[in-house]
Amino acid sequence: MAKRRNPVRLVVALSIAAVLAIFLIWTSLAGGTPSLQPSQLAGKTGEVGLAGIVVGPVDEAEDESRLEFTLRDIEGEATVPVVYTGSVPDLFKVGREVYVKGKLVDGTFVATPDSLVTKCPSKYAPES
Amino acid sequence: MPELGRAALVAAFGLILYAVVVGSYAAWRGRRRLLDSATNALFAAFAAVGVASLVLLAALARNDFSLDYVARLTSRELPNGYTLAAFWSGQEGSLLLWLFVLTGAASAAVALNRRLVREVLPWTVPIIGGVALFFAFLLVVVASPFDTQAAPADGAGMNPSLQNPYMIAHPPMLYLGYVGLTVPFAFAMAALASRRVDERWIVVTRRWTLAAWTFLGFGVLLGAKWAYEEVGWGGWYAWDPVENAALMPWLVATAFLHSVMVQEKKDMLRVWNVILVAGAFALSLFGTFLTRSGVISSIHSFTQSSIGPFFLGFIAVVAAFSIALIITRLPQLRSKTRMESLVSREAAFLYNNLFLVALALTILWGVIYPLVSEAVRGVAVSVGAPYYDFFAIVFGLPLVLLMGIGPVVAWRRASLRSLARQLAWPTGVALAVGVLLLAGGAGSSPAGLIGYTLGAFVLTTIVLEFVRGTRARKSIGTGGWWPAFSGLVARNRRRYGGYVVHASIVLLLVGAVGIGGFSSSREVRLDRGEAAEVGDYRVVYTGSSEQRGANAQEVRAHLEVFRDGERVGTMEAGKNSYFAEEQTSNEVGIRTDWLRGEDLFVIADRFFADGSVQLDVIVNPLVNLIWLAGLVFVLGAAVAMWPDAREQRRLAQRFAGEGALARA
Amino acid sequence: MLGALLTVACVVFVARPLLRTARTGEEPLEGANPAEQIRVRALERRDRALAALKELEFDHRTGKVSDEDYRALVGPLRREAAEVLRELEHEDRPEREGVKADVHG
Repeated sequence: MAKRRNPVRLVVALSIAAVLAIFLIWTSLAGGTPSLQPSQLAGKTGEVGLAGIVVGPVDEAEDESRLEFTLRDIEGEATVPVVYTGSVPDLFKVGREVYVKGKLVDGTFVATPDSLVTKCPSKYAPES
Repeated sequence: MPELGRAALVAAFGLILYAVVVGSYAAWRGRRRLLDSATNALFAAFAAVGVASLVLLAALARNDFSLDYVARLTSRELPNGYTLAAFWSGQEGSLLLWLFVLTGAASAAVALNRRLVREVLPWTVPIIGGVALFFAFLLVVVASPFDTQAAPADGAGMNPSLQNPYMIAHPPMLYLGYVGLTVPFAFAMAALASRRVDERWIVVTRRWTLAAWTFLGFGVLLGAKWAYEEVGWGGWYAWDPVENAALMPWLVATAFLHSVMVQEKKDMLRVWNVILVAGAFALSLFGTFLTRSGVISSIHSFTQSSIGPFFLGFIAVVAAFSIALIITRLPQLRSKTRMESLVSREAAFLYNNLFLVALALTILWGVIYPLVSEAVRGVAVSVGAPYYDFFAIVFGLPLVLLMGIGPVVAWRRASLRSLARQLAWPTGVALAVGVLLLAGGAGSSPAGLIGYTLGAFVLTTIVLEFVRGTRARKSIGTGGWWPAFSGLVARNRRRYGGYVVHASIVLLLVGAVGIGGFSSSREVRLDRGEAAEVGDYRVVYTGSSEQRGANAQEVRAHLEVFRDGERVGTMEAGKNSYFAEEQTSNEVGIRTDWLRGEDLFVIADRFFADGSVQLDVIVNPLVNLIWLAGLVFVLGAAVAMWPDAREQRRLAQRFAGEGALARA
Repeated sequence: MLGALLTVACVVFVARPLLRTARTGEEPLEGANPAEQIRVRALERRDRALAALKELEFDHRTGKVSDEDYRALVGPLRREAAEVLRELEHEDRPEREGVKADVHG
């Protein structure tokens, strides 16, 4: 079978290359916000993403829409107190893994309002 | 009773193992009786799995807490419907459902194509058996639903978020989809194994593929509706890995569905098709793996789940097997026909494949990247909606454009002139719509505006297709408009059913852009009697109340709704605190305006001791078009799938000679 | 008890084909018979050509294909369809002869 230069092949190859290029550029530039765990917070200023396991007690302020709880490393002991205002997703519970954005201020993590997210729990994985 | 269940699973495992081993030998050596025996083993395995399933259902119905599974997932207070649905709400039970549907589908597919499998595609039995073997292995060795314990007084109850009709229907729909994809995969690989490159495997599995794809797509939408109502953050799709897990195989299956048409009509894209079907199947396994293994939370918790590593291993085996088969058959597979022009229907299908696969790969990368980053750099990242939204637009909009151009461009080589003539009207309508929307303020979301313009373009081409087709039929027939129309659709079910499905995608687009690009919201704290205003709505908080429900303490804020000054109704939003599960869930208030398709969406964030309430009031325009799209989608797919007696006769005649010739 | 019964039933069901007396003989399955494959491919080509013709007619009638494009395309398609039909006839004839021989021979 004679191998002729087929323009379609060239176009296809170029498109794939272009797509790959967009991929790599995007993920290296904007790709994902670093999500830290409590043990990695020390000394970080500015807004970061914090992930961890919710540890009680969970306090609801009497008169404001404010939640106070502690986040622990997913696989460790380090903890940090968190102060959060805004919507609390359904699946929030002591023992669940959550992700929240905010800043570390004087040893307390002050969360950006409405940034609390619980991972869709794997209802199949054993409760760790 | 659990012993019967366990025994049934062990029996199933043995039977499937037999089917795989003996089936492989029979296919390799060409032994008819051995193959028949292996096939029977597959049928018997289905019966055995059925017995195991009945045992589990019975245990659930009786609240038999001596079964660890029942105790973990149900409680005495749980309503009956949900108790039975607990069959698939946990790991082990869902694996059992998988196996049940798989052995059922395998038996049906083989039984319906008995002669074909026997004479031509013997490897179908061991291959599909191989997949079943994996699940049977998991159920017997690693994750049995029949583990027993000392029965506690009451069970732990079902996760409150799962106590919702959509969440009940969602897993079975997805499994029907995933398992359904196993059938074309098995037939395709069997065809390759027997060194056959004709389209027969495509033809016999066409409706399986279409059905599986429909279930999968509908399942994704059910999940989205659940997320919208239950998780209630105001949105409908969060690009969460578990959502993407089902979307990826659906996208690749979409590509496959379209691409096989080119093989049927032009005998091209053969290599693409086997890669796509294997890819769709592998992604459905991967999706199942993602939602079960805990790998999403952290790559380190991955090994804590017992079945994660097994799944990954199995996916690797499937991938290696498929790749090996495809590569060794590549010379035969390669089409002899060359694509002549970049502007042709063949090319349009090729672009379709490329964009869909690109989108699926992008999503895959978004899901894997955090894990890769953590494993390689030790830095966990989270990939958010902006990444996915960007690529959904970059790849999605061209796909919408293709939906409009594809049906109209000619095969082999399209003349730009006739293309321009065909697309004159759609382009005109699209531009008019675009200008109108721009004037109406839709410019606030440029991507949305483009999306709507393209949507109008596609809808116009679809309407024109129906009109032109009906007119053409009427001109050669003797009947009126309706017989011409119904005859047109009846004679070309795939094409016109497909057009309806395309229309549903446009509806989905319109709805998604509406809620994504043009929604508005406000957060307020209201005392009794105070109001909040969002869009054309005014919401007045009239007070709150509490009551004890079946399994939860329910507190609700009562609201009166005014639109454009007129009172239009009341609604409630609040929280449920579940007793057994010790968890609180948001019960959002949704008021749907059917005429406008928009939702007034209220989340009660917080109830304060002084009687005031913190509310999040959102207006989601056009969101109900998304759900309507789901219904239209199923309708279109049903039309496309509808059995066609004429077509069946033609195909039967084509294949009647086979086998008989062999024996002559 | 029930389990034991079910097991026996399964074993019988599975073993049945093996114990079938060789009425049809220990016939091996036909693998990829080349002659058969060629015929299937030819039938596929025929169906494809006929379907393409039908589609071209329909596209022409609905205005998707212009008159001149139609004239240009219909000739080659018709020729191809005729060619495949001729091929199939040639194949059929020896086969029909073979079957006749079987029946009468």
